[in-house]
Amino acid sequence: MLDIQNLHVAVDGKEILKGLSLSIRAGEVHAIMGPNGSGKSTLSYTLAGRAGYDITEGSIRYKGEDLAALPTEERAARGIFLALQYPVEIPGVTTMTFLKTALNAQRRARGESEFDAVSVLRLVREKAAALKVPEEMLKRALNVGFSGGEKKRLEVLQMALFEPSLAILDETDSGLDIDALKTVAEGVNALRGPERAMLVITHYQRLLNYIVPDRVHVLAKGKIVREGGKELAHELEAKGYEAIVKDAA
Amino acid sequence: MNARPTPAEILRSNGLPHRRMEDWKYTDVRSVADADSFQVGAHASATISFSNAIEAAGLEGETIPNWASSAIASLAPSSAMDAAARSYVDFSEVFRVPAGKRIDVPLRIEYSGRGHGAAAIFVEANASAEIEVVYSATVKGEINTSLLVFIGEDAHASLTVAAPYARELVLVNTISVAQDRNSQFQAQVVNGGARLSRMEMNVILNGEGAEADLSGVSVLGDEAHADITTRITHASPHTTSRQLFKKVAGGKSRAIYQGKISVKEGAIGSDSRQTAKALLLSDRAEADLKPELEILADDVKCAHGAAVGDLDQESLFYLRSRGIAEDEARSLLIHAFLQEVVDGIDDEKMRASALEFIDKGMAWAMIEAS
Repeated sequence: MLDIQNLHVAVDGKEILKGLSLSIRAGEVHAIMGPNGSGKSTLSYTLAGRAGYDITEGSIRYKGEDLAALPTEERAARGIFLALQYPVEIPGVTTMTFLKTALNAQRRARGESEFDAVSVLRLVREKAAALKVPEEMLKRALNVGFSGGEKKRLEVLQMALFEPSLAILDETDSGLDIDALKTVAEGVNALRGPERAMLVITHYQRLLNYIVPDRVHVLAKGKIVREGGKELAHELEAKGYEAIVKDAA
Repeated sequence: MNARPTPAEILRSNGLPHRRMEDWKYTDVRSVADADSFQVGAHASATISFSNAIEAAGLEGETIPNWASSAIASLAPSSAMDAAARSYVDFSEVFRVPAGKRIDVPLRIEYSGRGHGAAAIFVEANASAEIEVVYSATVKGEINTSLLVFIGEDAHASLTVAAPYARELVLVNTISVAQDRNSQFQAQVVNGGARLSRMEMNVILNGEGAEADLSGVSVLGDEAHADITTRITHASPHTTSRQLFKKVAGGKSRAIYQGKISVKEGAIGSDSRQTAKALLLSDRAEADLKPELEILADDVKCAHGAAVGDLDQESLFYLRSRGIAEDEARSLLIHAFLQEVVDGIDDEKMRASALEFIDKGMAWAMIEAS
């Protein structure tokens, strides 16, 4: 599904990722853990194709294609979804309008027929109910005045709606209380499946108690410094990043 | 009999407004026109058609009654342009909405010719009227118009002005409004600019409790120029003014907002709010926003804000990461920026036409400056 080789990425001329390699197969859930400043968000933005994240060396192949050549919106249409750490507030665009526009834009790009307003509404309502997203939220401006938990639930709602092949969750646990965390994790787990890969990026092990990964990678100073099974997350929690990173060096 | 001075004579003796005059800094009429530019043949006149409902309200007789002339004279022209246009007012362009009468079909003033034109509308006590001013996009040349609106006690007047982008047009439009006690005035402008466009709104809140609410959307592209200048005078206690102007400027266009609020001595309890925001879509577009406050009374509330910005890159990325193509994402964000003004339009039909106007203008605005 995703094959990253020796990836170097610079932001504003400063190299953040320094030779990262990572491979994820369909059906797998991988976690990337790392201290602040290790390059976690840079990796997620690079995968989503944000302007200003320049690949200076290495390659990213997604479903066999060179990802770097595709603009952001085409990556989305081909099934890459990034749940942002800080979802953006957009006054003047209602959440429902946004969901409909995005869903139909992706379908159009894939040569599928667009959904009419009634079908979208029905689909969104069904997914929203499962994630305990109140209908009133859908009528409000996108993310405006939403609590941290509401924003994250809306990200997962989008994921449920777009049904991506590769979902990247960037610090989806940050700012969530335990109940919101459980709701979000349940939503994510419901989307696990043999056709879908997930990359869960987190600072803390907490989220991984709820979304149990197949593989854990430790990212430090722009490189993967250790890999292991889900037990690696517990080891990190017990020893702290410093010890693990030092051992690896 | 002494002939009264022609508009050209007025312009010649006063000179055309130019950029060295503080109020015309961004709009140099002299550089694009001269005193004779606004004339067409022997009879310089913009075509004004009061196409509906107004017959019932038109003044009888062939001369302007004294009460109307003195009211008109009490509002001094704000510029040589205003003076020149007003010299053309005669009985056929003065209208009265009698006390207590509510006109539910808008009075429509359509400018489709060139030259000078003026009209005065009296909305008497407890009366209500809607006024629509429309400029055709196909007009070329020079148009200079003045509109005077007198709003009586407890009366209500709403004004909409729609002026699509007219590349070869020089347009100066001065609207002067005088409001009596507890009267209400609402104005909504949608414009796309012109080679040179100046839209002035001068509102005097004469009577206690009078309220004025002005808003506008400018969607500019190509080499459009659009100057909206407002002057609100709070002359009596407990008067209220609201202003919200939003501008989108693409191509090599130039958006201007100058807004002066004066609170006169004794106008206690006045409440004034003014917001002007501009969104620049290209490196070669320009926006100049100039709020100005002059407060001579105590116990007043004045809030103003002005901001010029680019499309938010964070928002653009978010939308694109959801599969929305760049152009559509930009268009969505521009709509979102303007939505606040559209939301403030109560009338459903007007709201729809404002949205349509925005859609059309956006096609221009989103073309990158070449």
